[in-house]
Amino acid sequence: MKWVPDTTAYDETFDRTATARPHYRPLVATLESFTQTEIDRRERLQKLSLVDQGITFTVYGEKDGIERIFPFDFVPRIIPAREWDKIEAGLIQRVRALNLFINDVYQDQRCLKDRVIPPELVLSRREYKRELLRLTPPRQIYTHVVGTDIIRNDKGDYLILEDNCRCPSGVSYVLENRNLLHRVFPELFTRYPVRPIREYPRLLLDTLLWSAPRASENPVAVVLTPGIHNSAYFEHSFLAREMGAFLVEGRDLIVEDSYVYMRTTGGRQRVDVIYRRVDEDFLDPLAFRRESLLGVPGLVNVYREGNVAIANAPGAGVADDKAVYAYMPALIKYYLDEEPLLGQVPTYVGLRKDDFAYMRDHLAQLVVKTTGDSGGYNMLMGPFATKKEIEAYLAQMKKAPGGYIAQPLIELSSHPTYIDGRFEPRRIDLRPFILYGETIRVLPGGLTRVALRQGSYIVNSSQGGGSKDTWVLASRGS
Amino acid sequence: MLSRVADALYWMGRYLERSENITRLLLVTEDFSTETQGLAEQVAQSAWKDLLAIFPSAQVAPPVSAFAPMSQAYLVGFFLDPTNPYSVHYSLRKVRENARSVREALTVEAFLAINETFRTLDGHTRRGLTDLPALRDALGATHKGLFAINGAIDHTFTRDESWLFLKLGESLERAFRTALVLRAKLPALGAAEPRADVPLYYTQWRTLLRALGSLENYRRSYGARLEPDLVVSFLLFDPHSPRSLRYGAQAVKDHLERIAGEPGPGQRLIGRLHAELSYHDGAAPGGEHAAFLDRVVDVMGQVHDALSAQYFAT
Repeated sequence: MKWVPDTTAYDETFDRTATARPHYRPLVATLESFTQTEIDRRERLQKLSLVDQGITFTVYGEKDGIERIFPFDFVPRIIPAREWDKIEAGLIQRVRALNLFINDVYQDQRCLKDRVIPPELVLSRREYKRELLRLTPPRQIYTHVVGTDIIRNDKGDYLILEDNCRCPSGVSYVLENRNLLHRVFPELFTRYPVRPIREYPRLLLDTLLWSAPRASENPVAVVLTPGIHNSAYFEHSFLAREMGAFLVEGRDLIVEDSYVYMRTTGGRQRVDVIYRRVDEDFLDPLAFRRESLLGVPGLVNVYREGNVAIANAPGAGVADDKAVYAYMPALIKYYLDEEPLLGQVPTYVGLRKDDFAYMRDHLAQLVVKTTGDSGGYNMLMGPFATKKEIEAYLAQMKKAPGGYIAQPLIELSSHPTYIDGRFEPRRIDLRPFILYGETIRVLPGGLTRVALRQGSYIVNSSQGGGSKDTWVLASRGS
Repeated sequence: MLSRVADALYWMGRYLERSENITRLLLVTEDFSTETQGLAEQVAQSAWKDLLAIFPSAQVAPPVSAFAPMSQAYLVGFFLDPTNPYSVHYSLRKVRENARSVREALTVEAFLAINETFRTLDGHTRRGLTDLPALRDALGATHKGLFAINGAIDHTFTRDESWLFLKLGESLERAFRTALVLRAKLPALGAAEPRADVPLYYTQWRTLLRALGSLENYRRSYGARLEPDLVVSFLLFDPHSPRSLRYGAQAVKDHLERIAGEPGPGQRLIGRLHAELSYHDGAAPGGEHAAFLDRVVDVMGQVHDALSAQYFAT
């Protein structure tokens, strides 16, 4: 078996002397005990299993075979207990601050009055919903489910890259990856105390029902999906099935007399909590986008009356703005009076004149993103772009400087990944999932995405990324 | 349950049953046409043409070459053609689409079986299979795949409303298609006289039983005796054979009764039909086969409309 340690980035598995780090040694030894033929056989088994189970996502803008499997690499990513404990504490702190921030934005706007964050940065965003001002969601929770992207720099420090407060996806792959690895490489598990993750759907349901307006009488939670053509449809249906909840589309719901009902074969049935996997702009054509066919007319009014909970609550998107991100350390201090437990990537905000000037002059060294897009769309990877691309991008930036942020290129950590018979280093990131219910809980691990193309930094599934099983080890003796 | 989900399960049941019906009819007709083509080309020809009456809006491309056996165009058209709304490929794709749209209502086993069977079939379509023995093999394999799907559903589904809507679709499609097969085949069969070609005459009646998956069931009741009157009576009135009209009407009626709610017009329609089929006097109610079968086809259409209105368009 050939292993190729990384020489430029932080290698999760090998240190600078190409020796396996202690927590990876049993894994390396186990994998080395297999013959190449056996490993290839298992890999084929695993691919077939993905296709047969229809574990797929949809790629937009491609005519043929729009349903694709999300490639899975069987070499698991391992996080030792003490590292995870720090990450977990940092995430809980961050989500508390995010939720307080959103509450503040829609209530007293103290953070704006105190100039912790420039008001225009918040108030001018499409994600800021003026119509929701002074509205408090059940139990003051906006961010029921958060997916926060974390990377490691060349020193191995964990840094927060992005918060997803609207409808983060990927958790179904976390659960399916574990199942898959159990079946294909059971041997790998024998030498590690891997923390289980199967509880997630139950915890998610608990989290949702915690916000139900009529908690005493068997509240009904549903998963609202845009439908079968959405890229994350597999996940919507997976979560509904695992929670035993109804999977509904907008057309299944109807608003009558300030309540939401679903259309059933036995007539109408009241709905208490909507786990919406529909973009908030499409939730209600009467409140937001008029042309939306995915939404439920009148839904936001019912929400306003307090007769339905929506998770994540409308308006939460104001916090996962890429420019707001730059102010998160300050916001954590402001609301919690604590130092941030996890670092983040230095960020230049186009709205600030000095920052924009710096961005303009250093584009070739920066990664530039639009504040509105996600999924790796519309970004500029300065160090890899041609002069022409940079110029075109700059022209676009000048039209709306406030719509851009820039960050230095971080050498993402890399992880051995099985490519054509060898274990080669590929860049990875991590998206843990945080649930905000009665308490804040973090699913151990999360989704490790891997850039399968050599040298690539982009791990998004829509851009040729794959994923790995992520193991958080239980601390010995606990 | 959600109306949309009930609707999808109902159609999944219909398309699944339809896939099996088409597959079976293709296997049986191919066999029959191989046997009779040299003997009586007209008869073989019309056996294929009957498919167009059983699946009214099907489109089949003309044979690719004059030398190709006539089976080929029909086999390819009804088995693999993704654009023919009555091909196995089309129907099974619809099964999968409906299944996918309500995956949370299905068991993993059922979904896996659907996915695997469709994927194999789709492979044949992509490769553009035209070779007759290969087509036959693939048909046989698809038939088995369909049984695997039904087996998975049978063994893993909980018998709740989802199940009932799925089975309602299946039983309605089955009874409807039985009526259409009989309506297409009986007039010609009834008119033919067992003259010189006695073996051919009996082959046709035997093929009718096989086309409705009932040959062995018939033999259990009547032995190897092949009396046209008995065959017709068996296919219309037998209470136990799953593709007799009476059994089909009973299944639709039972499933509708078990689905909660007030009895609607659909239940009344199917109940009356079932009563006619149960308390018959040995001949087709009202005398003429053709007229009776026309009425059955009509009633089935009305039942479908009635239950759509009652359960799906809420």
